[in-house]
Amino acid sequence: MRLAVRATVAVVLLAGVVGLCVHYGATYEENWPHPTGEQLDAEYDRHVDDQVLLFGEVKDVNPDETVEVHVTDSADEVVAELEVDVGPGPEETNADSPGTDSIRDEATPLDPSAVEPGGTVQVYGELEEDRSMTADEVVVVNSGPDAATYKHGVSLLGILLAVGYFFRHWRPDGRRLGFEPRTAGKTERIGADAELEQRPNGSRNGNG
Amino acid sequence: MAELLSHVLVAYVCFTVASWKLDWLTKRWVAVGTIGALLPDLNRIGLFVSDATLEAAFGVPFRIGAIHTLGGTLLLAGVGAVVVADEHRRAFGVLLAGGLSHLLVDALKMYADGVAGTWLYPITWLRHPTPNLYVSSDPLVFLSTGALAAVVYFVDRLRTR
Repeated sequence: MRLAVRATVAVVLLAGVVGLCVHYGATYEENWPHPTGEQLDAEYDRHVDDQVLLFGEVKDVNPDETVEVHVTDSADEVVAELEVDVGPGPEETNADSPGTDSIRDEATPLDPSAVEPGGTVQVYGELEEDRSMTADEVVVVNSGPDAATYKHGVSLLGILLAVGYFFRHWRPDGRRLGFEPRTAGKTERIGADAELEQRPNGSRNGNG
Repeated sequence: MAELLSHVLVAYVCFTVASWKLDWLTKRWVAVGTIGALLPDLNRIGLFVSDATLEAAFGVPFRIGAIHTLGGTLLLAGVGAVVVADEHRRAFGVLLAGGLSHLLVDALKMYADGVAGTWLYPITWLRHPTPNLYVSSDPLVFLSTGALAAVVYFVDRLRTR
């Protein structure tokens, strides 16, 4: 494929990526079943009593089994400071076992010791009008700042590994403004490409 | 999403095992596949520039999360395919397969409401049930994929000897 054609295809596809992000952004709120940060900011009361899924940063963990979670909008501005009840469900007499008046034996949505300020959680539960929430389920995305650092550090290693591995087998060709395979004999121990390239008469199209 | 090292290792495992059956899938293409596994996480540009900033710049709604979907991965695999000088179709297929491995692994992660993200966009906004297998910050994720990749690496070395 000629360079001009390749460049045109690349520009068109990158424009497509931008267009996709625009369409995704324009239609996200009507398709995502839970309030976004913007919606929570603009019309909190409309979502009161709804079952919602929210993502937020943990600001405080209280001994009374509540966690203060800050939800942000797309500008990373805090739009809601929620007190999330992460204790077991409401105290109820177990109707199936009269006389035991035991507390409903349900798993606690979150063990408060599993998260610390600076962590990130997903909370699913009922939004209440006093800027609080009763959690049915909590997922600890990052238990604290260290967990986020771990994730970013390991991800960086992943990028280096993939890019390093790629450059072991490919090299930039300045003339054609693209990547081409490095000499096959040095990188390929076996494989159809290597066999073709190592044959005396094994010319390949396009590798000139 | 799982951290990127696990995504790269999963792609390495999948492509290397596939290479045992497919003669054309040489190491250079395994390497392209691991690059494909990075593509959906290009949405992490969001760590450096917020959607709101991009919305202000473009003057229209904008959500970088679209990259972390089928549509975004398809388009980026197309861009990657023309960045290599030749064999564009093969590059496209391998990059796309690497990107899909990333999206499939992410489809298994935990969501508090029990259903996965909207990664099938733009085909559908459907959120399928997730098995809630993991959160990315759990080192067990990397330890599992790392152990698997190590086994495949040594088996591959034995095969190519």
